[in-house]
Amino acid sequence: MRADDRASCHVLVIGSGGAGARAAIEAEKFGDTILISKSIVGKGGCTPMAEGGYNAVLRTGDSCVLHEEDTFRGGAYLNDPDLVRILVHESPERFEELIRWGALFDVSHDNLPAQRSFGGQRFPRTCYAGDRSGHELMLTLLEHLRNSKVHILQEMVVVELLKERDRVIGAVGMNTRKGELTVIRADSTVLATGGGTRIYDISTNSATGTGDGYALGYRAGAELIDMEMVQFHPTGAVYPYDARGRLVTEAVRGEGGILLNARDERFMVRYDPERMELSTRDIVARAIATEIEEGRGTSRKGVYLDVTHLPSEQIEERLPVMLEQFLKFGVDIRKEPMEVAPTAHHIMGGLRITTEGRTTIPGLCACGEVSGGVHGANRLGGNALAETQVFGKRAGETAGRSPSRTGRIDPLQIETVENRMEEFYSGDIPPWTVSRRLQRAMWDDAGIFRTEEGLNRTLGTIEELLAGALCAATPQNIAECFTVRNMCLAASLVVRSALLRPESRGAHVRRDVKQSWDALTSPYSHTYISVYREGIMRREVPK
Amino acid sequence: MRITARIYRFDPVCDTAPRYETFTVDVEHGARVLHFLHAVHERDPGLSYRYCCGTGQCGSCAVRMDGIPVLACMEEVRDGITIDPLNLPVKKDLVVDMQPALERLAGIISGGEDHLLDRDTVETIKPLRGCIECLACVSVCPAMEVARFAGPTAMRQEMRRALDPRDNSDRITEAIRDGLFTCTTCQNCWKVCPKKIEIPAKAIEKLRAIANRMGLSLPRHREVEQLIRDTGRSIPRGKSSFLEQVPEVIEPEGKVRKTVGFFVGCMYDFRLPDAALDAIEVLRRNGIRVIIPHEQVCCGSPLIRTGQLQYLDNLQRRNIQAFTSRGIDTVVTMCAGCGSTLKKDYCTPFTVKDITEILTELGIEEPACLPLRITYHDPCHALHGQGIQEPARILLNNVVDIIEIPQKCCGAGGGTRSGCPDISSALGKRRAEELVTTGADVIVSCCPFCEYQLGEFADRSVKNITTILHEGYREKDRLARVHNR
Repeated sequence: MRADDRASCHVLVIGSGGAGARAAIEAEKFGDTILISKSIVGKGGCTPMAEGGYNAVLRTGDSCVLHEEDTFRGGAYLNDPDLVRILVHESPERFEELIRWGALFDVSHDNLPAQRSFGGQRFPRTCYAGDRSGHELMLTLLEHLRNSKVHILQEMVVVELLKERDRVIGAVGMNTRKGELTVIRADSTVLATGGGTRIYDISTNSATGTGDGYALGYRAGAELIDMEMVQFHPTGAVYPYDARGRLVTEAVRGEGGILLNARDERFMVRYDPERMELSTRDIVARAIATEIEEGRGTSRKGVYLDVTHLPSEQIEERLPVMLEQFLKFGVDIRKEPMEVAPTAHHIMGGLRITTEGRTTIPGLCACGEVSGGVHGANRLGGNALAETQVFGKRAGETAGRSPSRTGRIDPLQIETVENRMEEFYSGDIPPWTVSRRLQRAMWDDAGIFRTEEGLNRTLGTIEELLAGALCAATPQNIAECFTVRNMCLAASLVVRSALLRPESRGAHVRRDVKQSWDALTSPYSHTYISVYREGIMRREVPK
Repeated sequence: MRITARIYRFDPVCDTAPRYETFTVDVEHGARVLHFLHAVHERDPGLSYRYCCGTGQCGSCAVRMDGIPVLACMEEVRDGITIDPLNLPVKKDLVVDMQPALERLAGIISGGEDHLLDRDTVETIKPLRGCIECLACVSVCPAMEVARFAGPTAMRQEMRRALDPRDNSDRITEAIRDGLFTCTTCQNCWKVCPKKIEIPAKAIEKLRAIANRMGLSLPRHREVEQLIRDTGRSIPRGKSSFLEQVPEVIEPEGKVRKTVGFFVGCMYDFRLPDAALDAIEVLRRNGIRVIIPHEQVCCGSPLIRTGQLQYLDNLQRRNIQAFTSRGIDTVVTMCAGCGSTLKKDYCTPFTVKDITEILTELGIEEPACLPLRITYHDPCHALHGQGIQEPARILLNNVVDIIEIPQKCCGAGGGTRSGCPDISSALGKRRAEELVTTGADVIVSCCPFCEYQLGEFADRSVKNITTILHEGYREKDRLARVHNR
């Protein structure tokens, strides 16, 4: 066994975005905590890229009941009610805690936390720090972490969860540059690896959004729910081509931005005349995709998102990152419209969790985007940052409170990992050719509009890609090989779950299915998928 | 689109020295440096580079493009560039060790108020908060090379904490321990900052001002302040004084093309008056009428840079009054530090121009060619403080051969020369050596602090740009006399 680097801890947290950092801060109160980051803590994941904000009920006129209703309605009533209740009720506490820890969210003229309107919400409840809200949240957690005793392993990928019978007892990590293994034994493990829409050709996610957690959890035997529910954010940049999909925050519409097609028509009037641009993301994304598909898009296959009617000062104060990014790419959004098109943004599905953050296998908790159930079939903007804090704390606490154990690491499991590494050295397919084919196949046939035929075609492609022998030219490529395999597995979970749901609901649209019900009267609940079983749960149709 | 670029390669494990490799790959129109690196990586999977968000928000991917730090994901790639890692310890190729610098950025320590801050406080701190910790600033900081200085972004974080009422720990003593007074305020850090956080003005000088209020200014800085209060000058009078040698109005030769006020500054008045006299000759020769109010005083830069602000109003009032009372609409400076201060730290009813700016704007009589190879040292307060780079070259181009060298701070600014002489000398020596290695006969600049500092450490003459022009005119006159004879 080559892996001679060993560590042991009470709680192991995998993933260093908003959820992982919050979980580690909580877990550390109970014992030695190790946090593994695939990048550098504070830089990885999607939290620092989150622009729009954090939903919390803070003012009179708003209420938790209203926030719950908005979340259910936005989620096409597929959300887990217990998780939603906790999200909504604890989000304000976590927000106040962030403030105590040093966060600098914007403050309104009446010296209350500033809140803006976001899609699908009947009250302006999205707290923000300009359009760098996630960065603000992440900086706050990072500063807190740096003052804490959490032990951080940077630039390490987790290649496998370690098991003792059915219990997770830690993980095998690998240094992304040197390809060296580290074996970490833990009393309890928290999976907080974030999402994975890098499996699509056009995506808002950072380079780390490769779905590793779904793959790790699945291989370890955990059950995942609603993996077909992938949110396509309506507004991603279309230029430059190599940076396509870059997020254009919903805050742009929240601040009053309007959508126009190439014929200068404010087309949302045809799709949701009541809520217009501030309809839910699934609806706006489909509207834009339809406009483009039917030939009313721009030459770069986008539509216009226009804020030129807003005062320059408002754009400069509330949307500084957008202003700066577009200026870098040659567009002054104060004077000319942006060109946007849908982009894969968030996976609503994920590991099935309890309100305490426990997954279906002992020893493993999950929180943040890698978990499922909070957002149902479509996530409201501003609920993801809140989710990272509410469930990050809960999962960290659950893991922290779990008893100490003496786990025995199975050498065979390490050997399997090492053998796979050896295989990569003798393979012949460069990992990036695989990810590129995967991303195209997912975009073409498992994207906004889906059919059984297209999904099966994609599944075929994925299986073919998984069967190929990936090659690593250098030790650093080993991590890339593991990541690409995880991407393929995560993609297959999305596609298989999409085939399991014979209806259109929220973000999941099956063009080949005619249905006589809507979200409220649907006979279906969660899809579920694990190494042991898969299917779709039925539910009593509300009368 | 086909792009060719050189990339720094180095693996400390197996390479004895770094090398460059040139790659040519195809990228899409509008591609960024990062996309070029992705394309190269497919060609050479061994290439190491760091990236994450791809949208300028995480600060993972900073590299140097032709020497200047940029975020690879935001900077458009150009044909023929050279890509280097940041100037930090290299782990492999373009990947540097960020940890030591990042670990210095600890957060607020709760202990003060724990409620939501009011809007004004939040708005005050926000300009210091956008940092994405890319370490571009750390990569270009001269003080960090020679001093125990925690660096620009660490000072930004200290100021962010000092402003935050939730943190009631003593940030100032820590900042001083971490090298607050070693910063030369060269402005390199924020010029390369992708978020344009003005660390020298918004953090360094502000922290020094708090230190001053706490009685923690350096003794040498306090002496300078006292001298300014007593004499109106930041340095003692030398052998001679410029102001004592010139009348208040100097008429030009020939037709008056322009009338300007002249702000000489402490250094050219008391320490390098000959250079100022040369400047006056050059102005005269080019039809510029010069008015020199003799009651002008120190611009206050030595006070602002060192955080001693109590007497500043007095200086500003006297200087503005000196020029406005004579109805002057354009004031010319020849000291880069004074120019930057009058432009940025004053609210003047007149326009302020550096002498190189006014001369290039009006156009000058061509001096004779001098048989000299010079190298030009861009003063930080001209290049970064005022954004002036081209005028000096336009003026010098037909007079001498210029050997270009990348800009770097000479260590004389920011109160470092008086307050931390060892550090200032170390930087001065380094810069002088660099300039000498160009093989130039003369080092030319347009800042008395730089000229004085480099003159101390370089084994060849250091001259002001107007002195060179003046020599060019004298040569021209001599040739004319020879010709006429």
